[in-house]
Amino acid sequence: MHIMEGFLPAIWCVVWWLIALPCLGLGLFQLKRILATDREALALLGVTGAFIFILSSLKLPSVTGSCSHPTGTGLSAISFGPWITAVVAAVVLLFQSLFLAHGGLSTMGANIVSMGIVGPLVGYAIYRALRNTQVNMFLTVFLVCAFADLLTYVTTSLELALAYPAAVGGVASSFVVFMGIFAVTQIPLAIVEGVILALVFKYIVQMKPDILVRLHIFPEEKIVATQRGLADAA
Amino acid sequence: MLRNHWLEVLAVVAVLTYVGVFLATTMMNPTAEFAGSDTRGSQQISQITGIPEEDFHPLIPQWVPPSGEIESALFTLQAAVGGIVLGYVFGSWRAQRRYGVAPAPAHNLDTNV
Repeated sequence: MHIMEGFLPAIWCVVWWLIALPCLGLGLFQLKRILATDREALALLGVTGAFIFILSSLKLPSVTGSCSHPTGTGLSAISFGPWITAVVAAVVLLFQSLFLAHGGLSTMGANIVSMGIVGPLVGYAIYRALRNTQVNMFLTVFLVCAFADLLTYVTTSLELALAYPAAVGGVASSFVVFMGIFAVTQIPLAIVEGVILALVFKYIVQMKPDILVRLHIFPEEKIVATQRGLADAA
Repeated sequence: MLRNHWLEVLAVVAVLTYVGVFLATTMMNPTAEFAGSDTRGSQQISQITGIPEEDFHPLIPQWVPPSGEIESALFTLQAAVGGIVLGYVFGSWRAQRRYGVAPAPAHNLDTNV
């Protein structure tokens, strides 16, 4: 999903940075507030942030014969919302643009918008829609993580299509072409990422259910019921 | 066992399926380069604009890892940092559950000298 340094016209670099900056500001504000009110939140932030670091470092092969990164942003979006997730994603993207030449400082705004904002925002919307329903928590986590990953790449395709409309067919036709490169490659990776992060969420429920209750991540009765189910089956 | 660990089973099945699909892809498409989709995206930009890839210059000067080895070392570093944090937090949560202790307040250490 990284748009490489120099491959985005300056005007689009500015546009995406201008969208990214207020989101990062809001994220930093929320981060400060949540860490001041609950020190245990830092541990959960460590876990959800760690998965963004680990998963986005992996370049995995896909059916299209090319490789791509998972994003790992779904757990963070569920736990802390899209804005704090944008801050963590920005840290990873900064590291990758400074030391790995994956993405660059000028294109970082666009990359933050795709990986840190739109992906997590869509994931967060799915989470909010399913949070208080009968839908299984693990299925919710799977859907959030898979779609946060996939939508990141749909956004990258859109960003590139807007900057590089095709001579014939314009933005729409460019979008289809970039979707073929980015989003199709991403589908198998998004599914595997969703399953893995749902499993990780199970371990959080088993080991630290109180933090999920305290931060109101899922309704208490849902967490208790899931925990009891896991204990009964043992 | 299956009822308690269905997610673990599902994760193993998903990973094995993924590996299987990867092996099938390499067999059916022996010329696949498995280049990064970032690189393929840049090639596509070059194709749409008709400007050769090497004529796209960084807007902000950028350090590029001198070799693939150095790049993979730095990627590993990124994953390792995540792994250390993950192991630390899960380890301390597990210890809290098993021994039922909250982290000891710092002043207890001083009074017991």
